[in-house]
Amino acid sequence: MTRAIPERRKTSSLKAQGEPMIWLTGGMFAIACSMILGLLALVLYQGLSTLWPRPYSMYSTLGNELVGGELQGNNEYVLSGQTLEDLDSNTRSRAEKLLDGASEIRSRRLYLRTGNFELTNRHFTFLPTVALSTDKPVQPKSIWLLERREWGNLYGFPKSLSWTEANESNIADLVQKAMHDAEQLNRKIEAEKHKLERIDRAISNARLDVRRAELAEKVELQAALDQATAEAMAGNASGSVVAIEELPALQGLSTPATRAIVGLIRKTLDSEPQLISINEQIAKLEEERRGRSVVMQTPVMDNIGTADIPPDQWFPAGSEKTIGDKAGAALPQAILDAMGSSDAIHQIFKTVSLGPQQWLVSAQHDSKPPVYFWAVQENGASTSVYGMREQPVLVADIVRLIQPNQLSWLGRCGVYTSRWLEFLFGQPREAGVEGGFFPAIWGTIVMTLVMSLAVMPFGVLAALYMREYASSGWLLSLIRISINNLAGVPSIVYGVFGLAFFCYTIGGYIDGGPAKAGFEPWPSTVWFSAFAGLAVTGLVAFGVSILSGPRDRREGTGRSILGAVAGLLWIATLVGMVILLAKIPFFSGFYQAQLPNPTFGKGCLLWAACTLALLTLPVVIVATEEALAAVPNSLREGSYACGAGKWQTIQRIVLPYARPGIITGFILAMARGAGEVAPMMLVGAIPLATELPLDLDFPFLHGSRSFMHLGFQIYSLGFQSQNSEAAKPMVFTATLLLLVLVTLLNLTAIWLRASLRKRFQTSQF
Amino acid sequence: MNRLKAIAEGQPIESVYHDEVLAREAVLTIKDFNLYYGRKQALYNISMPIARGMVTALVGPSGCGKSTLLRSVNRMNDLIDSVSIEGDMLLGNESIFASGVDVIQLRKRMGMVFQKPNPFPMSIFENVVYPLRIDGERDKTRLMQVCEHSLRGAALWDEVKDRLHESGLSLSGGQQQRLCIARAIASDPEVLLLDEPCSALDPIATSKIEDLIEKLKGDYSILIVTHNMQQASRISDHTAFMYLGRLVELGVTSSIFTRPKLKETEDYITGRFG
Ligand SMILES: Nc1ncnc2c1ncn2[C@@H]1O[C@H](COP(=O)(O)OP(=O)(O)O)[C@@H](O)[C@H]1O
Ligand SMILES: [Mg+2]
Repeated sequence: MTRAIPERRKTSSLKAQGEPMIWLTGGMFAIACSMILGLLALVLYQGLSTLWPRPYSMYSTLGNELVGGELQGNNEYVLSGQTLEDLDSNTRSRAEKLLDGASEIRSRRLYLRTGNFELTNRHFTFLPTVALSTDKPVQPKSIWLLERREWGNLYGFPKSLSWTEANESNIADLVQKAMHDAEQLNRKIEAEKHKLERIDRAISNARLDVRRAELAEKVELQAALDQATAEAMAGNASGSVVAIEELPALQGLSTPATRAIVGLIRKTLDSEPQLISINEQIAKLEEERRGRSVVMQTPVMDNIGTADIPPDQWFPAGSEKTIGDKAGAALPQAILDAMGSSDAIHQIFKTVSLGPQQWLVSAQHDSKPPVYFWAVQENGASTSVYGMREQPVLVADIVRLIQPNQLSWLGRCGVYTSRWLEFLFGQPREAGVEGGFFPAIWGTIVMTLVMSLAVMPFGVLAALYMREYASSGWLLSLIRISINNLAGVPSIVYGVFGLAFFCYTIGGYIDGGPAKAGFEPWPSTVWFSAFAGLAVTGLVAFGVSILSGPRDRREGTGRSILGAVAGLLWIATLVGMVILLAKIPFFSGFYQAQLPNPTFGKGCLLWAACTLALLTLPVVIVATEEALAAVPNSLREGSYACGAGKWQTIQRIVLPYARPGIITGFILAMARGAGEVAPMMLVGAIPLATELPLDLDFPFLHGSRSFMHLGFQIYSLGFQSQNSEAAKPMVFTATLLLLVLVTLLNLTAIWLRASLRKRFQTSQF
Repeated sequence: MNRLKAIAEGQPIESVYHDEVLAREAVLTIKDFNLYYGRKQALYNISMPIARGMVTALVGPSGCGKSTLLRSVNRMNDLIDSVSIEGDMLLGNESIFASGVDVIQLRKRMGMVFQKPNPFPMSIFENVVYPLRIDGERDKTRLMQVCEHSLRGAALWDEVKDRLHESGLSLSGGQQQRLCIARAIASDPEVLLLDEPCSALDPIATSKIEDLIEKLKGDYSILIVTHNMQQASRISDHTAFMYLGRLVELGVTSSIFTRPKLKETEDYITGRFG
């Protein structure tokens, strides 16, 4: 018997082989990967390279300008007909030739960090390549970079010191040594200012006492205080010893009020001589501080004269001439003055030709640092001479002296390390654009830790209830879904909620009682009757829950009505308690005397941590629930079978087993919280804080202080500061830091999960 | 009419008891016990005595309610929300299900071993003394004493005495099961409840556990669920045959396996059914 063989296709279809899908899925994967890697690479490169010291280059332009700076990079831009208007005539004609009739072409421009902000009003500049008169910049060996406390970087050539003679070989050492001395000076001034602050704080505390007395006695004390102060001052001035208690202005006041006013006046009078001496001391130190400065020649050029012959003919190259030679006579008097021409000292000129008819000229003096000029010969006839503008810099203002064009590779690494150390552990300079991020790093860490302290017990206990105690039903599912969906609420909403609820309502309540939080207090009779009612409700709830008792197996299933009633009563009691607290007529806040200055009634560490705790609560709950669900039921049953109770089982078996999962969720929550910015800007992060949220002053953790935060710093520096172009590099560095922090947290979570899971793995049979 | 067919059709049947069993002193008496999972009834009118100091085996096809019955004895079924019961059990002559009974104390009077070994993720020592720990026992010497006694009782002492502080999970499956038995006898219970203790073990581990049961009987009254007829005949004194939630026949093992009173039991035992 023959069987019909169905005809087969020789090759399988394209669909069957699935080649197109490989390309599609693989392509998508590659795109996703390259986007992520690109972002990472950008942050890594920018963040790591910002602090790397680069050489200083000087470019000459067709417009006869000399532009110097650290080359940060170069980029493409559109050179179009309209933009030509801004260029000088030489550059314009070259650009027009390049354009050759087209309306626009792509060209490149250099991105230079020019520094010298107080002279040029800019930190950075773009230099179109079309404007360059030569491709080769000069990198002068002796250029200095001074990083300063204020005004940012200054680039220039050292010329002289205000306090001593110096020559080219020792000037750097002299300045370094002076910087070292000045550091101690700065520290002394800090210490004196700290003393001032302490006295100020003591006086304002005494003033708060007066305010408290005023609030307690419900009287106006300002007039009496002013008068008593005047009387005491007058008595003090006339040299007689004053018994403040007996001043006429204080007669008739109650004892506490008198005591407070006397305390304040005495404090003021007592601290007067101290204040005077401290201020004198500060003035003296400031004087000393101003005493030492370096005069720098900055590459900001001013026309100082003309000469008839080009600089290469001023002196034949390599020759040594004394002042008074015929060639020297061609120089403008200003140059001779700058060189100190009165002495017959060897002068050596070096000229570097920068472009056609452009020279950078240095006048070397054997006992002084060299003096630089910029000479431009116009039309082959006369030479315009530009001198570098001088700028004195206080030694005490210098943070770091770098000679960028003399650094060896090792030296560069040294500068890089020192900048990173300052970045990690130093105070911010220039409104956070320069210097250290320590307060921001510290603020982020402290806030994250406080947040975890807040979210941990809440999250874990809630998850324990949901997983171990609550009987599953639609209500529980609903709650679980809601918690999961909380993750989708935009974080700014948490910020708004935190501001309205934590800062204004709870914070206001703590500061100034119900009235400040926006609740009208009840009259005390109403309040007391409500209190009595609540007490009865609570008792009834208690009684009912005892009556509803434990369920008996033989009664069959189903929750008893009594149990539900008890639950409702408990909820009512809780709500009633909150209402009673909100309407209490006898409480007017813990910080009433400080008002209208808020203490807790504003964004601060505590409320920021609470807001973030709320935001990360779902993460903790979900992770904890998952960890609890992963505990094998057989372990629970084994424990019960041994006669353990519910809590004993949870405590001894379930929690230890679930611990790695819980901790993992917790770290993930921390990572989430640390990177969050939007709510932070509403509930307590500020761009520049003078005080740390956790320091060595009692009580160490200051919940009511605002703080700096890395994420917020990135936002405020990059997009809110006046000088965001200058801040851009720091933004990347801060991003890198935050990224590293979050990555470290995540890695810890992964490592923890892996290592703990191994411990609980059952052995094979 | 065939009783099994009657049961399958939902008709009540008379359980058949051997007089030798009824004559024994009972440590545990089950009286007219019914159990429901929600609406579904899982146990029907079970009445049987469990003889003191002897091994009673529960046999029957899967799903006939052996585990349910076993878990009812130490009220583990309380943990399942939907369960409701009728009838009662007596331990000695105290009711297990009366309303004032302290479940925790009750469970301490019974040790339970599960199908799959479930040592806790802690050291061998802590595993064994867990029932004492939850009572708040802190005395090191007493804990050590109990640990050694229980491990010897479970024939595990010689194998683990040098590594008491290693994790209980580092043991082999058979050792883990004996560890669970040690844990079950640590609180010195009256009754041991074993739910297919050997079904997850290899033959050598199984025979060790069987030897152990042999050794433990006398000191403890043992109620064991097993699927394995040879095992039941080897280790038990009495055997109860259950079918679809009902007790069919309870008798001395030797007679159940050689000349049962009911044809149905014989069919099941010889494998002609089920
Ligand atoms: N937790 C439970 N919920 C509902 N039904 C259950 C539950 N546990 C067991 N059952 C049912 O009860 C019957 C008896 O189960 P079980 O006692 O485990 O049988 P055995 O141990 O004899 O194999 C089975 O039909 C099973 O489906
Ligand atoms: Mg079973």
